[in-house]
Amino acid sequence: MKAISNILVLVACCLALAWPVSSPAFSLNDLKKLTDNIRKISAEVSVEEEIQMGANLIAGLLGAAPLVANPALQRYVNDVGYWVASQSSRKDLPWHFGVIDSAGINAFAAPGGYIVMTMGLFNLLENEAQLSGVLAHEISHVVMKHHLKALQKTMKREFWANIGTQLVVDNEKDRKRLSKLVNAGVQLYAIGLDRSLEYDADLKGVVLAARAGYDPYALLDVLATIDSINPEQETLTVMLKTHPPVADRLSQLANAMDGKLDKYASGQSNSGRFFEIAGKINP
Amino acid sequence: MNRAHVFLGSLLLFLSIPLHAEQAIVVRLATVYDKPSSVSEQITRIVAGSEVEIFERQGGWKQIYSEQKSVIGWVRSYQVRTVYSESVPEIKTEPDSRGFLSGLAAFSRRASSFFSTSDSSRSTRTATIGIRGLSEEEIKEAKPNLVELEKMQQFASSLARMTDFIREGKLIALEIAHFKLKAK
Repeated sequence: MKAISNILVLVACCLALAWPVSSPAFSLNDLKKLTDNIRKISAEVSVEEEIQMGANLIAGLLGAAPLVANPALQRYVNDVGYWVASQSSRKDLPWHFGVIDSAGINAFAAPGGYIVMTMGLFNLLENEAQLSGVLAHEISHVVMKHHLKALQKTMKREFWANIGTQLVVDNEKDRKRLSKLVNAGVQLYAIGLDRSLEYDADLKGVVLAARAGYDPYALLDVLATIDSINPEQETLTVMLKTHPPVADRLSQLANAMDGKLDKYASGQSNSGRFFEIAGKINP
Repeated sequence: MNRAHVFLGSLLLFLSIPLHAEQAIVVRLATVYDKPSSVSEQITRIVAGSEVEIFERQGGWKQIYSEQKSVIGWVRSYQVRTVYSESVPEIKTEPDSRGFLSGLAAFSRRASSFFSTSDSSRSTRTATIGIRGLSEEEIKEAKPNLVELEKMQQFASSLARMTDFIREGKLIALEIAHFKLKAK
């Protein structure tokens, strides 16, 4: 990271030297600001910054679809998510979960512990263990900082594209600039992560669900349900574009689990209280 | 064998099959086990597309009856799916084929119960089959909604809330190590 930072600073200096002398907008002071900004952006993101970034990203998704207006549902999903996240190595993050009012079938994770799933996906679930499996998959993305790492790459590219113009003439605080770049990162949700990271989140997810006392096979049940939906359905478009084929995920997962979690398959399903909540939403 | 014996035999077979069986379809090539455990005896294998009946669920397992193979045994839960009587899905016979239950037919029962709501103004909630979901454009063009973000933050759980949640759900935390994906 340090080496990259040094290279960026060096390139910035070269660009500054190549800048037309007649340009009144550029001074040595600007060069200092520019190099400081590069150092900050290429450095490790603190947990506070990560949480702030996640909040920005999730606010973007909530702009596309608001929360389902059902406090009991939202609290229940938060309880299940919090309990599963408590079994992870990042249990101290301020975990937030939400169900958004969309018929699409998908779930999203943002840095810092922000996770949303669509009502379309919730409606496919049959019990609490399946809900835990879906949330555990997303929690695993956060724990392994998958989106954060992808965003850091995006931010650098964004930053690079604007070099010599926006950054030099813009005198606003770094925070605001960072936030701007993060908002642009919402597009990541339309592109998706590397497929290998999805397989990894599946695998880490089943273990987290089992640790939380749930039947780990429940995630496979959800995948099988999604797999049985016609892939031409528009509700699935984004999910299928941003994730590996569901059949491949099932094969990889079943193959990797290889009976290792069989003794936990008798874990709780808690379909009773799940339907108590689901039934009130859709009486 | 006289008629009485045939009747008695049929009656015994009938009584051995639970009455509340659900019609189902094997969606992935499934190994049938004697018990809901992969270390129990393997009875047979059933290819995707085969019709079976589900008697019971236990953890990640379902007990099924295959008329074609004349066996009762346990398969992984994700390998079979219930077929609801209102609409029988199309069946393709190749194993592990994707999306072989045509459309959302299998979920028609759930769709009719889940997607109907007394609040007709919430059009996205009443979405049934084929209604547009959260599209790529909607995600890209969305403006941040800070009011909803604040709402989401208010629903966050806490250690205090966990006590009842864990007790009521009979949940026990276990120590289980992560493992890696197998190389292809």
